[in-house]
Amino acid sequence: MENKNLSEKPVKISVKGLRKCFGELEVLKDMNVEVHEGEVVCLIGPSGSGKSTFLRCLNKLEEANGGEIIVDGNNITDKKININKVRENIGMVFQHFNLFSNLSILNNITLAPVELKLMSKDEAKKKAMELLKRVGLEDKANVFPRQLSGGQKQRCAIARSLAMSPDIMLFDEPTSALDPEMVGEVLDVMKALAKDGMTMIVVTHEMGFAREVADRIIFMDGGYIVEEGTPDEIFNHAKEERTISFLNKVL
Amino acid sequence: MVLLEVITSSFNTFMAALSETVKLAIVSLIAATILGVIFGLFTVSKVRILEWISKIYIGIIRGTPLLVQTFIIYYGLAQTLRPYGFQWKQIGGPFTAGAVALSLNAGAYMAEIVRGGIESVDIGQMEAARSLGLSYGKAMRKIVLPQAFFTMLPAIINQFIISLKDTSLISIIGIRELTQNGKILVANATARSMPIWLTVAIYYLVICTVLSKIAQIVERKVSHGK
Repeated sequence: MENKNLSEKPVKISVKGLRKCFGELEVLKDMNVEVHEGEVVCLIGPSGSGKSTFLRCLNKLEEANGGEIIVDGNNITDKKININKVRENIGMVFQHFNLFSNLSILNNITLAPVELKLMSKDEAKKKAMELLKRVGLEDKANVFPRQLSGGQKQRCAIARSLAMSPDIMLFDEPTSALDPEMVGEVLDVMKALAKDGMTMIVVTHEMGFAREVADRIIFMDGGYIVEEGTPDEIFNHAKEERTISFLNKVL
Repeated sequence: MVLLEVITSSFNTFMAALSETVKLAIVSLIAATILGVIFGLFTVSKVRILEWISKIYIGIIRGTPLLVQTFIIYYGLAQTLRPYGFQWKQIGGPFTAGAVALSLNAGAYMAEIVRGGIESVDIGQMEAARSLGLSYGKAMRKIVLPQAFFTMLPAIINQFIISLKDTSLISIIGIRELTQNGKILVANATARSMPIWLTVAIYYLVICTVLSKIAQIVERKVSHGK
């Protein structure tokens, strides 16, 4: 990727001392991360390392047990914050797509902007059609999610998130539930987004994608950040034993 | 044949009684559906106190017979509230009391149906809606409940049929619905017990069958659109 000089850009997400427990189990132990505007960060690591939980803390789908998460200047660990307002600006794409099965593709995309009164029905529809075109699904506007393939569903889910014009996009293993031949079409959409300057945090097992698109790779294990750096630093010159052994297994 | 003669001769009184039964059922089922949605939502809410209220309500209703509930509401409540000037007469008499009892009863079962329906919807649907910035209430209304409805439909219809037949128990407080009408007719013609009660049974059978048929059609239509 071209040099974006990211450190000069404003900080979009700042996480300090984040802790998260599920009952007795501490899945995140003192996470500290800063993400700058336009940065693409890929989270990699073995399953159970806390990557997805970390991501879900960023839009408060999981509530942090300690530490501070500041998104766009809003401290979302503060009880008084209107989390719905903050979430409007953070898109999230799920492993299992989670398209609304009772709504058509078009209505999946227009629901939130219309319900939250950000757009009129007509505006939302126009925007939805543009987005569907962008992800190559303009002919699917009036079908229901169950009629789409996995790859199409995920592209639609991305379009749904983009309809809110978020500044930040979170991707939680977006290609893990896909048949291999459909992974590429979803990654292509994500690559295009990255190129457009979207701030993205991606939990992924697609090392090729991480290497090509990420500005920074964070390797997590056991609820900690073990190592982070540019794709070159992580994939070619990893320093930590655990990073090297993980990469040996997956590459 | 005696049965045919009974059916024809009692036609007018049974039509009036049938209308009472159907009125009682419709009023109660509408109220029960509203109660069911409210208390079903209470049960799945993360608010402890609402969860408790709902669990206590459902527990009491499921743990006591409808007949006893009816007595408590019609006789018990009237006696307790008499010092404050309350009488069932003022608000429609036994019919209202019966409707209240039946609504509360069916409402508890409906709440359980609604809870089950909501819990059957994949949690990812709620998460996706919330992640877009929709409030819990909006996500429930626009995404979760419509999906839960399809799952709930057979159970709701089943409850409708049960409650329709339960109106029979309400006869005890003196509403002249189908069963009460049967009792009165038998009291005046004790030798005709069998044909009269068969006639009553036929009326119930007809309305329940019609209701299940309608339900089947609705269910098919709805699942088609799904």
